[in-house]
Amino acid sequence: MSISFVTNLILAAIRMAVPLLFIALAELYSERAGMVNIGLEGLATVGALAGFMLTYLTGNTWLGILCGALAGILINMIYAYATVTLCANHTVYGMAINLLAPALASFIYRVYFGEGSSLMQITLMQGIGIPVLKDIPFLGTLLFNQTPMVYLAVALVIFTGIFFGKSKAGLNYKAVGEYPKAAATLGIPVIRTKYLSCVICGALAGIGGAYLTTCYSTTYTEGIVSGRGFIALAAVIFGRWTGGGVLLACLFFGFCDALQIRLQVLNIGIPYQFFQMIPYVATILVLTVVGSRKAGPQANGKPYRKEER
Amino acid sequence: MEELLRMEHISKQFAGFYANRDICLTVNRGEVLTLLGENGAGKSTLMNILIGLYQPTEGKIFFKGKEERIESPGQAVRLGIGMVHQHFMLVEAMTVFENIILGDKNSGGIFIDRDARRAEIEALAGRYGLDVELDKLITEISVGAQQRVEILKALYHGAELLILDEPSAALTDIEVEGLFAIIQKLTEEGKSIISISHKMREVLRISDRITVLRAGEVVTTVKRNETDAQKLANLMIGHELAGSQYEKKTKSDGQTVLKLNEVKYHEHSKHNGLAGVSIEVKAGEIVGIAGVDGNGQTQLAQVVTGVISPEQGALEIKGEKISVSDPSAFIGRNVSHVPEDRNLQGLIGDMPISDNLILKLTDSAQFSRGKGMFLKKKEIRSYAENLTEKYDIRCTSVEQDVRSLSGGNQQKVILARELESEPELLVAAHPTRGLDIGATRFVHDQMIAARDRGVGILLISADFDEILEMSDRILVMFEGQIMGEFSGENPPVEEISLAMTGR
Repeated sequence: MSISFVTNLILAAIRMAVPLLFIALAELYSERAGMVNIGLEGLATVGALAGFMLTYLTGNTWLGILCGALAGILINMIYAYATVTLCANHTVYGMAINLLAPALASFIYRVYFGEGSSLMQITLMQGIGIPVLKDIPFLGTLLFNQTPMVYLAVALVIFTGIFFGKSKAGLNYKAVGEYPKAAATLGIPVIRTKYLSCVICGALAGIGGAYLTTCYSTTYTEGIVSGRGFIALAAVIFGRWTGGGVLLACLFFGFCDALQIRLQVLNIGIPYQFFQMIPYVATILVLTVVGSRKAGPQANGKPYRKEER
Repeated sequence: MEELLRMEHISKQFAGFYANRDICLTVNRGEVLTLLGENGAGKSTLMNILIGLYQPTEGKIFFKGKEERIESPGQAVRLGIGMVHQHFMLVEAMTVFENIILGDKNSGGIFIDRDARRAEIEALAGRYGLDVELDKLITEISVGAQQRVEILKALYHGAELLILDEPSAALTDIEVEGLFAIIQKLTEEGKSIISISHKMREVLRISDRITVLRAGEVVTTVKRNETDAQKLANLMIGHELAGSQYEKKTKSDGQTVLKLNEVKYHEHSKHNGLAGVSIEVKAGEIVGIAGVDGNGQTQLAQVVTGVISPEQGALEIKGEKISVSDPSAFIGRNVSHVPEDRNLQGLIGDMPISDNLILKLTDSAQFSRGKGMFLKKKEIRSYAENLTEKYDIRCTSVEQDVRSLSGGNQQKVILARELESEPELLVAAHPTRGLDIGATRFVHDQMIAARDRGVGILLISADFDEILEMSDRILVMFEGQIMGEFSGENPPVEEISLAMTGR
């Protein structure tokens, strides 16, 4: 096995991990405020479409990313209103988002581009090398010659670690997910924090989706998110609800994804469908091993009702 | 003494009924005021108004001489009002330190200045003798330590008035002494305390003044050195000896249907356990269990209906020793149960009245073919229609969901099901809780009629009047123990009410 094979594999793993990382961080911020959002798949899908269309229209991938975030927020407000204000079941509304959003995205795509039209393409965001650092052999190309989105994702992980670990706001935010009533008695605005968590979740999941069209695949196709929304859910559990943990979990799942593509090409007599299963099988295995242990925010998924008689 | 808090003419109305009516009270600096009252006397509602969870329908609050509208718990904290809830408001997954600084508005900056905050907290802790380990997780420390964290948290947030809701409820005796010392220290330093309690021992130990609440109104406020336990108990329960309208059967010669001998369950949990309970119920008598809620009554009802099994001691039904607890075996031995929470344990809200009425009979030949394989819908319907008439269940049809009935009619559905199965023992827990006078009367009449048919009844109720009205014999429960047995005929009300407070 050559050095370039390994480098390529790791490079691909990082590329695969980044969209996952955005989506998983979205869920992390959501669940830290007690909001289990299984609608990530749907949020990422509208993000992917919005990112694609804006880039197609303006030629500016940054506008695409921004628009992806806005679309994610917009759709997630349905979930937020239903679960926070109306105290509806988190799972039901998350699922509703998963049914609604991809269908909506396909509808808009077909109305705009017409049915059966050949696949539209956009140019991807360019990688930016960090001077000097990118020339370090091996590590240089690996870590310092990526698209700005990769750096953004890493910065976000660091920010998340500091926010929840060191800041007062982060401590108060976590309290909302653990014991909202206690938080309320100390004057922490529970409802506002929950809405804020939904805005962050929508934005990051939308960006994760937009990354897929603007930095990864050049086109929008149905099912482009292909289960990443659900793998991200697993990544949050695997990562023990911390920024660093989520990063490692996403790299692991990204590696599985990159590996399966490599293995498919090797052509060693095993049907390629088996290789395609790798990321999903890994998800199931990880959840069986890690998921059974009790952890995570205590009031996760429980509606918060202000006390009334 | 300087006045810290004054509540003037506070009323709070919930859907037509007054939880608080025209309440006035004052708290001075450096004193302990105790709110004394039974369950439902309005203590919690009043305190929830004070900490901004509820808005009063009428009335004014003055704090430090200024009129304040307290619209949120956060505002109460900013004013200097801190509450230690009965169920602690602590985040278990966080450390003691993190819990204390949660929601901190005193110090600026984005990041937590751990060293500076620690120094502040440790200084406070030292000053008031609040011994806590800051780096432990909440799950790792004792209940008493958790309470100290709650007090320290309130002080850290600048509380000058501390509200302690049933502060000794979950504590061991040694911890209670520690708490009293802390309260002493706090008042010496000029903090004021409102303590909510119905335990005579602690009320008399710690209070400077005592405000007695009954049915949402202030009965009176007395100074500690001008009263005693007996006077307070009378004020709190406020009995009017009207005499029961039912004939009492003090000498039952029936067969013993239920016998508990030194039954123990979670013996050391004062509020959710049984510490050696012996009870005997004979056919054709009503044995009333009096006591303030949360002294083991729930566990008693569950033991005698097979929901939980005793850890020690013997349980006999009709002279037969029961070794394995299982509700269906108890039902098979003709034990009926009117549970304390009708929605949670007594009924299936989304099923029609008719189905709820035959829940215990689904396998019988009367209502099904093939041991419950196929239900005989017609028979069920006509049976249900009969019962709704007999038990005066007001509904549009027996197909109506039970959830849509009023509380009184729901209770009648349970009563119909439990009495129609011709029980020999009926366990009724708070059978008229939340019912209006008419429905209460109906339930009582049915229970007396059942007694006269020879049913042995164990009546558990926190409503003292109901116990006096119904019981042929009265037992008092306090912290998982039976405090005494009294006759149901001309019951010695004062002795009983004193026994309920642990004396």
